[in-house]
Amino acid sequence: MECVVQGIIETQHVEALEILLQGLCGVRREPLKVHEICLKSGPNLGAVPSEVRLICNLEQTEPTWTVRFVGGAMRGAGAEQLSVLVRTVIESKASKNVLRLFYALGYKLDHELLRVGFAFHFQRGTQMTVTVSSVNKMPQLHNTDEAVPVTPGIQLVEVTAPASSETYTEVASAVSSFCEYLAPLLHLSKPGISTGVVPTAAAAAASLMSDGGGTTL
Amino acid sequence: MVNLELFNIVDEIKKVSKAFVVYPKNVNAENAVVLPVMLSSKLLPEMEVEDNAKREQLLLGLQSLPISTQIDKLKARIDMIGAACESAEKVLADTRKAYCIGTRQGIPVVPTLDKAQAAKIQEQENLLRAAVNSGEALRLPPDQRQNPPALPLHLVDVLGGGDGGAQAFPEASGMYSKNTPVSSSNLSGQSPLMQVPGSQLMGRSAASPGGTSITNFDNTTTSPLPYANSPRSGTNIMNTPSPQQQNQQQKQQQQQQQQQQQQQQKMMQLPPQQQLLAQQQFRQSAMQGLGQNPLHQLHDLQGQAQQKFQSLHGQHQMQFSPSMGHQQFQGRQLPSGHVPHGIGQNQLNQGSQMNRHLSQFSGAANSALFNAAQTTPNQMIPNMSATMSSQSLLPRMQPQFEMPGNNPQRSHASQILSDQMFNMGATNTGGMMPLPQQQQQHGSQGAFGNMAQNAQNLQSNMVALQGTPQNHPNFNQQRQQNQQQ
Repeated sequence: MECVVQGIIETQHVEALEILLQGLCGVRREPLKVHEICLKSGPNLGAVPSEVRLICNLEQTEPTWTVRFVGGAMRGAGAEQLSVLVRTVIESKASKNVLRLFYALGYKLDHELLRVGFAFHFQRGTQMTVTVSSVNKMPQLHNTDEAVPVTPGIQLVEVTAPASSETYTEVASAVSSFCEYLAPLLHLSKPGISTGVVPTAAAAAASLMSDGGGTTL
Repeated sequence: MVNLELFNIVDEIKKVSKAFVVYPKNVNAENAVVLPVMLSSKLLPEMEVEDNAKREQLLLGLQSLPISTQIDKLKARIDMIGAACESAEKVLADTRKAYCIGTRQGIPVVPTLDKAQAAKIQEQENLLRAAVNSGEALRLPPDQRQNPPALPLHLVDVLGGGDGGAQAFPEASGMYSKNTPVSSSNLSGQSPLMQVPGSQLMGRSAASPGGTSITNFDNTTTSPLPYANSPRSGTNIMNTPSPQQQNQQQKQQQQQQQQQQQQQQKMMQLPPQQQLLAQQQFRQSAMQGLGQNPLHQLHDLQGQAQQKFQSLHGQHQMQFSPSMGHQQFQGRQLPSGHVPHGIGQNQLNQGSQMNRHLSQFSGAANSALFNAAQTTPNQMIPNMSATMSSQSLLPRMQPQFEMPGNNPQRSHASQILSDQMFNMGATNTGGMMPLPQQQQQHGSQGAFGNMAQNAQNLQSNMVALQGTPQNHPNFNQQRQQNQQQ
């Protein structure tokens, strides 16, 4: 399971966000370049199509593949009160033949996207990951070199934290308290719920980017 | 007398402190009487000293000047201090506003966005979130889902020469279309086989009942397959030397894939019951690259007796799955009486394997097998081991070895199979070369290619296979016994 929230930030403020995250997380940023291929099962595999995501990490010289299955979100009154989305996720490393395997099983390509940005992996009460990336689409199949952003002026910010059925409440509160620190720049919400941009983002970004100001009296 | 000074400042002092106490330091008999009066009219001595000191500090350098000047200068000082306070306050307020912290008093002023701009941003945000979470605006139209002209590096070796899976959903033929992404070069020859309605075969080891008839499958026997255990006609098989002999290790995995696919196809042709059994075993079997295709073999048995018989041999070479032992035993026991003396127990064991296979086939097939077996009585020992060791993927194929003495029902077919296997072993230890010749003589030897591949394994396992009972635990025991022999 994982707790996840998403938000958007204007591209012009991404640098300021990076500075803020650097200060909050205390770790170095890691570049992120991921080719995400989303496969859907064919009709032979059941009435309800299932979706599987293959994630190829292109950052290293040797690409690594991960299989990711995103399940349904938790429902209920308790889930609605949480400010984060809790959903089942199954992830596993895989060899480069995983794409072939899923094609052989009958899965078909549904869509693919390329995420380019950076990520912070840190510990703050619980293990958390913040990714800031621009989501790019490919005009031709698998053509990652010519990917263009879906929304040029806006990037996606995602905060995820792994959780289990016993710990998800603590993880959810840790994630939401971390998100409060990002409030001057952006608001984060459950995936599917839009937030808009934060009005103070410009000022906050300006102050983050400045040298700190302050003259001695 | 009242000390008017104190009286005048009481009001101001009250603002600062609600109560103040004057504590005389030196009370003695002399001034005790007059102390109250003094308190009310004069500062205490120590208070007076402090007062003087402060006045001195304040009026530093001004004592000498006339009073009015002193007053002016003090006023100027007050004004300066006031101005500094004001400017500091202003800076604080401005900073608070910028950080939107909120003033100490009053409502925080929040900068607002331009409405049009906000709407644009909202629209973009919806687009982005939809793209990330559900893939909106990212799906290519079907006509653009062709093989890309140039694949990125990380996909070049993954997708190889074709991307069949990248077809849109409406293309239901999917997996088993010509562009199957199961890109093994050795499988290319098998692709015609895959043209059986792929939708029934995709992704499941359990074949759908019904489906294609045998004739459909036969229609695909146009192109020769590179493997001896292919369901192609026996002559075609024998004409091409089995590549298994050449590249045993390399082709194991590919053959496994083929086997699985072919098994699936065969499953479709079998009656549903058998298919269910086959499905169970199919999942359980560990395909260890024997290169056999039990499906092929089953198909052959049904259609063409001798040729299918050959394929059955290949099936026997499938790995033995001990876990399926008791499940797959179909109650047929190998008759020991019919076994020629020349044939060892291994042959009987092989026969028992075949029995199970044959039990699911028509009687005609059995008789054909029997006839074939009669011609090759004493040459199956090396092949027996091969067939014994393999675990068949299908229940039929599962070699369940029984004590020869306990199986009075041993059919001819089992003997036939075992004989054929022996033939194969004798002639093809380590190689498949004699196949063409043998096949002409004995149609049932088509599966030898598979057997030869496992000759070494078979021989080591042959002993173990003797007389295994239906139950799985026994198999292990017998294996040990056999090895000791």
